[in-house]
Amino acid sequence: MSSYSSTSVCRCRPLLGTFVEITVRGDPARIESAVSAAFDAIERVQRLMSFHDPASELSQLNRRAAKRPVTVDDWTFQVLTAAKEIATASDGAFDPTVAPTLQRWGILPSTGADIASGDWRDLELLAGRRVRFRRPLTLDLGGIAKGFAVDCAVAALRAAGAESGLVNAGGDLRALGPGEETVQLRDPQSPGRMAHELRLHEAALATSAPTFSRRAGPDGDLSHLVHPPTRAALVDGVSVSVRAPTCMVADALTKVVLFGGQLAEAVLALHGAEAFVLAAAPLPLAA
Amino acid sequence: MSGRIHHLILPALVGGSFHGYATTYHTVESAQKACFPDGTEFTPADVKLTKEQMKAIEQDSGVRVRLDTQKVWKASRGGQPAGWFIVDEVLGKHEYITWALALKADGSVQSIEVMDYRETYGYEIRNADWRAQFLGKKHGAKLKLDDDIRNVSGATLSCRHITDGVKRLLAFYELVLKH
Repeated sequence: MSSYSSTSVCRCRPLLGTFVEITVRGDPARIESAVSAAFDAIERVQRLMSFHDPASELSQLNRRAAKRPVTVDDWTFQVLTAAKEIATASDGAFDPTVAPTLQRWGILPSTGADIASGDWRDLELLAGRRVRFRRPLTLDLGGIAKGFAVDCAVAALRAAGAESGLVNAGGDLRALGPGEETVQLRDPQSPGRMAHELRLHEAALATSAPTFSRRAGPDGDLSHLVHPPTRAALVDGVSVSVRAPTCMVADALTKVVLFGGQLAEAVLALHGAEAFVLAAAPLPLAA
Repeated sequence: MSGRIHHLILPALVGGSFHGYATTYHTVESAQKACFPDGTEFTPADVKLTKEQMKAIEQDSGVRVRLDTQKVWKASRGGQPAGWFIVDEVLGKHEYITWALALKADGSVQSIEVMDYRETYGYEIRNADWRAQFLGKKHGAKLKLDDDIRNVSGATLSCRHITDGVKRLLAFYELVLKH
């Protein structure tokens, strides 16, 4: 048994374009340094993989990897590897190359990069953590990098000796420790209401819904969720939550469930994941 | 459909309660302690801005200056300047968020901490009048601050207003505080 009586701390910082909340229980003497280490890990992911920061590794890839292979950090390579795997398994229902559509809609900032013409198949991962684009691409690791950041923060908490904790990056969250955490799923048609409750034990949960990003565009409504094959916006009052062992996988699989049709079941099974679809009526999810 | 995708049909939009949060992450003292090393001393140094200063900050930062008073503490360690600690408010989705910006002695950002986060949700809760009818009500109130709801997974709220707040406060430092 530990000789201290544990305490808990809850902190929140604006990171990854959202509010990141970290709750930890553990040894009072070490708890503040555990929280700092967790936020440091998230800041590191932001520095490497931010779409909005022209100096990030991701931005450098987008500028240069169509011309020659670019060597990246181990963390960036891990996320790109997962992105490529899930894109392949879902036949592009998850596709990290739809950014040009979001840029055209004004949802992502313009980067002045080459005209991107390729898709996820053109992302080549080579030996020695080198990355090359077969055709010009504009990669955006937004959601999957956010999930990875949550995983890194949880690993940092664990390494710092936290007993239990929860990291929540704007709805992408992961619990660690012996207990169960209760998580509410927001009603996508009326975000003031909680529509469903889930329990998490050493697991992650991520949600995709157009609730707050939906807006009117010149040719109909837009949102940050793009159906990769047609590049159409998802604007239905639907939300998809995925519970998975890691938050990186959970976030990417929300798109597989939204857009993967019949393939979604198999990809969820491959990752030991489950999905919760909230909608007013059974949806014919895009095939 | 087999067992891995659970379809949950939402109830129709009749009645129902609207939830809000109020989470306090930090008091002024605990935020100061989180931003600066032990042994740092803080001297209150609130600043009242002139109209000209407010205008200059807006022009420099491209962000509107809403209040003419800025809560500021000067940080020092062993008699040497250690930086600045500024408490500010920005609008979240519907409610104000209190946050702190810590600056190093050279004016660069040391850290950012959210102190108080309040949020209500629901498109119906757009204006203050609508909300005011529920404030102070207990029994039967439709809007409640719910302590049971700690973790929510759902659509993401952007922290863009804090990013704008950082720009505004860096202009405030450059044009006012450092002189």
